[in-house]
Amino acid sequence: MGQYNILITSVGGQGGITLAKVLAYAALNQGLDVKVGETLGMAQRGGSVQSHVRIGDGVYGSLIPRGKCDVLLSLEPSEAVRVPEYLGPGTKVILSTAPVYPIPVMLKEALYPELSKITLALEKIGCNVYAIDARTLAIDADASTSLNIVVLGAYAALNEGILTNESLRKSLGEALSRKLLEANLRAFEKGYEAMNKLR
Amino acid sequence: MVDGAERIHLLMGNEAVAQGIVEAGVLFAVGYPGTPSTEVIETLIQGSKEHGIRSEWAVNEKVAFDIATGVSYSGSRCLVTMKSAGLNVASDSILSVAYGDVIGGLVLYVADDPGAHAGMEEQDSRLFTGTCPLPMFDVFDNQSSKDMMIAAFDLSERYMIPVMVRSTSRVAHGKAPVKLGEVRKTKPKPPMKKDISRFTRASPVWVKDQHKILNERVEKVREEFESSQFNSLDLKPGSRLGVIAAGAPWGYLQEVLASGRFGVSVLKIGTVHPLPLKTVSRLLDSVDTVLILEELEPFIELQVKALSADVGRKVAIKGKLDGTLPRVGEYDNELVEKVLNSINGCPKKEEITLDALRSEAKTLAPGRSLPFCPGCPHRGTYTALTQALMDLGFKKDEVIVTGDIGCTILGMYPPWSSCWMEVSMGASIGNAIGFKYGGVKMPVVATIGDSTFFHAGLPPTVNAGWNGTPIVIAVLDNQVTGMTGHQASPASGRFAAGAHTKLIKIEEMLNAAGIDKVVVVDPYDIKRSREAFRDAISHNRPSGIVLRRVCSLVAKRMGILEPPYRVDQDKCTGCLLCIRTLSCPAMFVESGKMVVEEVACAGCGMCAQICPVGAIGRGD
Repeated sequence: MGQYNILITSVGGQGGITLAKVLAYAALNQGLDVKVGETLGMAQRGGSVQSHVRIGDGVYGSLIPRGKCDVLLSLEPSEAVRVPEYLGPGTKVILSTAPVYPIPVMLKEALYPELSKITLALEKIGCNVYAIDARTLAIDADASTSLNIVVLGAYAALNEGILTNESLRKSLGEALSRKLLEANLRAFEKGYEAMNKLR
Repeated sequence: MVDGAERIHLLMGNEAVAQGIVEAGVLFAVGYPGTPSTEVIETLIQGSKEHGIRSEWAVNEKVAFDIATGVSYSGSRCLVTMKSAGLNVASDSILSVAYGDVIGGLVLYVADDPGAHAGMEEQDSRLFTGTCPLPMFDVFDNQSSKDMMIAAFDLSERYMIPVMVRSTSRVAHGKAPVKLGEVRKTKPKPPMKKDISRFTRASPVWVKDQHKILNERVEKVREEFESSQFNSLDLKPGSRLGVIAAGAPWGYLQEVLASGRFGVSVLKIGTVHPLPLKTVSRLLDSVDTVLILEELEPFIELQVKALSADVGRKVAIKGKLDGTLPRVGEYDNELVEKVLNSINGCPKKEEITLDALRSEAKTLAPGRSLPFCPGCPHRGTYTALTQALMDLGFKKDEVIVTGDIGCTILGMYPPWSSCWMEVSMGASIGNAIGFKYGGVKMPVVATIGDSTFFHAGLPPTVNAGWNGTPIVIAVLDNQVTGMTGHQASPASGRFAAGAHTKLIKIEEMLNAAGIDKVVVVDPYDIKRSREAFRDAISHNRPSGIVLRRVCSLVAKRMGILEPPYRVDQDKCTGCLLCIRTLSCPAMFVESGKMVVEEVACAGCGMCAQICPVGAIGRGD
């Protein structure tokens, strides 16, 4: 196979790095070569975090080359436009619609972009955007901390033909705490259904 | 970490290094936490029982290296790890030990940070070999991160010198499949024999002999490196362009070459010091132009330039010195492709429209600053300091606060904007002394964390006590090395692996160092901390405040967090003074009023102390 690149953008504490781990395990389970890279600031939480999951033969670097992102999983709306250099025409974007406001925004000292503006900016680049309310879906699944896994479920429903549904489900059990497996599987299903409704 | 040939695991570069240590049969590992090197010792601590490895944190990198030297001289293999800045701290000892004989293998792992992801200088540790000519491996992927550790220990013992292995953030923190090998059993060698002509630097005759022996050993290593498994020369018949690649850029080159558009000869170099010059010459002999891909300084480039003068015909060297490539920041695929295209005379058309659209999209993303975590005790410290300075009638930005390395420096950000500067581990205290000497009439406050205080804050504290310099030393004691991931410090009362031990009290050290007024306060108690700062700043003698409260992330892990707070929405007036003063990530605004996100709240109660109308209380 050629290269297949997944970018995950999130705010520290949302589980972006964990999501990358699940995807990487799934790839390994299928015998695919995989590299994972991260760019994160110094803070433990609250900062922007990007994880790069690169699958396929001949992948050496751990960062996605410019414009070569196949799928962007954004766990927060404004983070979807944080690093547009990786995106290009045809990039599929799954975007969780619940914002995490920076403090200056809460204090009305800075603006937060409307969702429609974010979507439009992405579509202008040529991305296909799928917006889902992953926070509400996670709460509905009684798995409020599994917003990241809702997005994973939505990704599975895209049916990209790279990572199979079975291996993604299996890696949920391997890469994450067993205690949370049931909650995570519920979250996964919620995301899966939501994406199927969208398409 | 596992024992098993031919098994493949997804490992971070630093985890691969740890696996290499296990496979090399190393039983001792010591280091000081520092991004991006920390995970090596962390991984070894986790697997210490299984593999019988003694792995721990030292108080600083020099102490770590000195311990490693003692282990080596006792006959056993020892690993020592540090970030690039730590190499500077340890260098005094490294240079000295390089002049003697290593007994058990002694390997130093240092991780650099091109791109400055960890908030420090872009130091190129390869240049250390310029003054201390030790052999150095330079990892280029996760597999080599493991394999080089094994080779480095063998080399160290064969030539009786310390060996360095250098990595960079991108490899050290990237995850990739690594093929594991057998775990070797090693037996300790007989310990050093007493010989002051080898193990001291007391006589110029000895030292010159030692220097000569070191240089001879390094030249023998150079000969060995000509056929090292970590270097490879791939000469493409007919190609006039050669590329020399080291470190992470080698991987970027592989991806770019996979397109098949460029027919170039490639020399991969994994042994950056001493450079295998004969191998480099073979490349120079077969091409007209050489492109050198190495991040940060033109380390290989300068040596290749010097060598090319001997080739007898002109070879164009392209790299940093001619401006082809930058000396700042890290490389990536795109850069490598762009440079190869331009050398080939076919610059790729810039995607101007697409880039403009990307820039437009990027402007939408709001800034995110780096806040203290919910329940972080440092939030209380900087709030109390800000209020104390106001109480004493100082205006904003009138009193210099010297910051230090670690989480404590985040006090430089709003809403506190307290810290003026950050130099190096422990420098806040020496800097503060200097401001007083330099004639600053206003008070000067140094803020420093507990681990940083033990690392390099003690000597300047003694300096202040000795000379009676009127500065305030505020030690933000969260009982852990926070920024790098909560490693134990001497203030933790536990060993690196977690078991309880004696807690070293910072107030006792301050007292013993001649700081005549020392108090201990709980930074969650803003009122009391504010008074303590007021008293210390008014004291006009060296004074110390220890602000002690365990890191809230550690408290969370230990299950000792206090219950969360809640806002009475009827009482809340929506003044948002809480958010303005404390900037806590657990606080949100809904319908103009503050709400606490209960799962994020660490129960510190600072917001309840700030609220002017008493709207915040325990959520029960």
